[in-house]
Amino acid sequence: MALIKLNDLEIEVEDGTNIVEAARQHGIEVPHYCYHPGLSRPANCRMCLVEPYEPIPGAPPGTIGPARQLATGCTTTVRSAPPERKLEDKYDAIVQTDSPRVKKAREDILEFLLVHHPLDCPVCDQAGECDLQDYSYRHGHDKSRYLEVKNVPPKKDLGPDVLLYSTRCVVCTRCIRFAQEVSGTGELGLINRGSHDEIDIPRSHEGTPLQLLDNKLAGNVVDICPVGALISKDFLFKSRPWFLEKANSVCTGCSVGCNITVEYKADGIYRIKPRFHEDINQHWICDDGRLGYHYVNSEDRLQLPLKRVDDELTTTHWADALSVITEQLSEAEADDIVIIGSAQATNEDNYVLQQFAHDVLQTTQLGLFGHPLGEEHKFPQFTIEADKNPNTAGARTILGSANGNAVLEGDTLWKKVSGAKIVYLVNGGPERPLEDTEKTALENVDFLIVQDVLPSEVTQLADVVLPGTTFVEKDGTITNSTGWIQRIRKTIDPPGEARVDWEITQQLAKQLGSEMNYRFAGEIAIAIAENVTGYVDATHQNIGDAGIKLADS
Amino acid sequence: MVEEKRILYEHLDVPDINTFDVFRQYDGYKRFEKAIAEYQPDDIAKMVMDSGLKGRGGAGFSTGLKWSFVPRDIKPCYLCCNADESEPGTFSNRYVLEKNPHLLIEGILICCYAMGIETTYVYIRGEFTLGKKMLDAAIKEAYEKGYLGKDVCGTGLNIDIYTHPGAGAYICGEETGLIESLEGKRGQPRNKPPFPAVEGVFSKPTVVQNVETLCNLPFIVGNGVEWYTQMGPTYGDTRFDPPKPDPNTGTKLYCISGDVNEPGVYELELGLTCSELIEVAGGLRGEEVKAVIPGGSSAPILTHYELDTRLDFTSLTLAKSMLGSGGIIVMNETRNIVDCLLNIMKFYAHESCGQCTPCRWGTPWVRDIVQRIADGGGRPDTITRPKFGVTESGRWGDTGETEEIYEDLDLLESVANNIANVDTMTWNTICVFGIAVSWPAVSYMRKFRPEFEAAIREGKLVTLPVAEATVPPEENYAYQQRFIPKELESE
Repeated sequence: MALIKLNDLEIEVEDGTNIVEAARQHGIEVPHYCYHPGLSRPANCRMCLVEPYEPIPGAPPGTIGPARQLATGCTTTVRSAPPERKLEDKYDAIVQTDSPRVKKAREDILEFLLVHHPLDCPVCDQAGECDLQDYSYRHGHDKSRYLEVKNVPPKKDLGPDVLLYSTRCVVCTRCIRFAQEVSGTGELGLINRGSHDEIDIPRSHEGTPLQLLDNKLAGNVVDICPVGALISKDFLFKSRPWFLEKANSVCTGCSVGCNITVEYKADGIYRIKPRFHEDINQHWICDDGRLGYHYVNSEDRLQLPLKRVDDELTTTHWADALSVITEQLSEAEADDIVIIGSAQATNEDNYVLQQFAHDVLQTTQLGLFGHPLGEEHKFPQFTIEADKNPNTAGARTILGSANGNAVLEGDTLWKKVSGAKIVYLVNGGPERPLEDTEKTALENVDFLIVQDVLPSEVTQLADVVLPGTTFVEKDGTITNSTGWIQRIRKTIDPPGEARVDWEITQQLAKQLGSEMNYRFAGEIAIAIAENVTGYVDATHQNIGDAGIKLADS
Repeated sequence: MVEEKRILYEHLDVPDINTFDVFRQYDGYKRFEKAIAEYQPDDIAKMVMDSGLKGRGGAGFSTGLKWSFVPRDIKPCYLCCNADESEPGTFSNRYVLEKNPHLLIEGILICCYAMGIETTYVYIRGEFTLGKKMLDAAIKEAYEKGYLGKDVCGTGLNIDIYTHPGAGAYICGEETGLIESLEGKRGQPRNKPPFPAVEGVFSKPTVVQNVETLCNLPFIVGNGVEWYTQMGPTYGDTRFDPPKPDPNTGTKLYCISGDVNEPGVYELELGLTCSELIEVAGGLRGEEVKAVIPGGSSAPILTHYELDTRLDFTSLTLAKSMLGSGGIIVMNETRNIVDCLLNIMKFYAHESCGQCTPCRWGTPWVRDIVQRIADGGGRPDTITRPKFGVTESGRWGDTGETEEIYEDLDLLESVANNIANVDTMTWNTICVFGIAVSWPAVSYMRKFRPEFEAAIREGKLVTLPVAEATVPPEENYAYQQRFIPKELESE
């Protein structure tokens, strides 16, 4: 640990921490553009200049004063110094972040940054969450002294989701370094020189793109752009950021479980942004997760229960749908019923489901349904996993927790399904096509209950369809492939009369005479913590925003 | 009348000196043979330290001291010869490369021997096609004769030289920019520390030396330190007690251009005055000297009041200018300083690498302001600001008085100082390109303010008579020295 004196604050930080981070940890802002904790540090924006103190050469020992040159806070790291090199006998470093010299330097740098920057904040997507705006307001001049002609470099289409408004660019090169260091794809570079510097993708002499910014992590460059230069086409002109509500959640696109912030309004999700988690996704998410939320806002969403009448699925009301199901279930033998949980659903959904199967129906035939394996994408600092289900690990453990029987999966499951009379299948997540064996097996079922969010091949085969909810419409926990239990949160209301999945199952259980009575997802989590190995401390309070690791069994 | 003192250039005009055989007749490679026969590597390093040789590339940093920073236990260590001579007004390395390339190779050999270096990269300015051709031919010959390659001269040393042409960027003459470019990256200077001596080419310790510096080595080894230190003055830095010796030894290749009768490269002992140098170069062309740029276009300008300034590293630093690369440009009474500054600023705005904010957007801004003034678009508005100067305490500061200044001149000075402050010698940029921009901008404006004011007032460029155009030293703080030496002792 290093002891530093930051302004008048005495603080202790880890060895190797830079001044920007040390200050941030203690609530002091050191403005910066090019520095990003997940990338290398070129120190080219010169915005984070701070004033370090050092022994004055020639003066009596122990005399310290401001260094002649200001130092960049991002590249100045502090570490524990040997006793003879301590300043004022105890500090490893003394740094001023608000001295007149530092303030003047910030003003000057901001003035330069604004020289060619257009004043198009009213039409810029970044306005409201723009570092240039914020820092100008807090640290900048109140008026411009620039009378000359501004540079107007062109607007560029870099790839499927990324636009570049070159005029707004401050050439911090975060995007270039991201493409080199994190995605390793290197599509971006600087062209021209000096004040004509422009970010660009490789192009022929005629200007035709030779390579597009179309890697699976491309969307991150929009997040890390400190100004409104890199803009997502998906979010373009959709909303001002300050109108958006934000909730911390977890991406359900694959089994990595990237931490995200869901930004939404009452009418749906507007965008998904990554949230830092040191062990899972650092600062990044992939574009599949970022842009994969559209099914939530889909107009096709199941809003009312459906019932098969004369071979047609027709809408009905909940009471009717549930009574049809209870009628069928109460008449059936336990061995004829197969309950299939979902790797797309939360631990809570699956727990209630297995409790329903075990306690109410007394069946041991529990299966697990999820999306088939997709493609794995490996990048130097990021991996998109092949398992496209967010909760395979959690669902498998929890469904199998009641009795020692292994959860049915794959061919064994479909064999069981073909011989079953009643199947209650919980799905969820984006649309999933069926394979032939799965389809044949489900066609053989006498009475198929499907709980899903979108009409799909699965719901086509169902006798009763119950409208469930997506990951942004319910609370719960999911367990990723590396054993992190994390929370998802309810942000928007489900469409129409769709209900949270575990509530539907519980309602069925109640109608069949069970005394199951969970009031909210947190209660189920407590039950899980009590009954499932590995989930000992996994209550919602303990999990919080950071998640917790599965306990060793 | 001062005589030329030709050492590096002594045999420059000998026909076919670029061939090994002719070079050999003039002591070629004998100094290197002497070095390996008579001295240990550390002895050579000590000789260079004792000789007081200062880097001739521009910064004037002691070569021996630079070598002492190189860790000896990390191998490989590289030598980078900086032949990217692009400072406007400088053209001395070019002649060495084109006419006497074996001298450079010998210098490189001595440096490699002293530092235990096996690989040398010569980064040659891309435009020096002939120079590269001649050097490549000489390197080929040296390989054939056994002075390069494996087991040089049977001593067991392995020394290789590679030449690498630049692609035409001024900034690649900055040592870390050069290294980046050499590594195949965009030529942009690195953040320092770490300095190249610790982490340079391919993250290994690297000695970066100018062509002229390396060419001095054979003569220091061949003729001895004593012979070398007799040339040029050694000052005593009176801030220390006893005064710390500040050697300005050896000769310098002064590149004289502009309004002189015989422009060219002159090799002279360090320590001559400006007017002596003009005499050497055939005298002034025109009536009177208006201004002299002493060290390439980035050096602050000298006025006719300062013609007796000695052209060596220490004296010019004290005069708030620099010897730099030794590119001396003389201007007579017909030159318009606003126009000169515009010319220089166009160059710097074009050559800024664009890596860091102040330089990328400040440099073209300065150019645009000067352009506007030169085009007659200067605003006639004035502002009142505190006047800085020598205060009663004898130090530099706010005098308590105020002065009227045209808003545009204040803006010009302020923008330039925001890139790099010439008064405090601090810069917000990554490399010293920033100070290379603001030095001329601020010094031209302060020393020739009447001419700038006339351009704004009249709405066009007005060339004033020398006496009227120049601000006298006593009224102008651009002359103010950073420390005032009580007495300079000359040996």
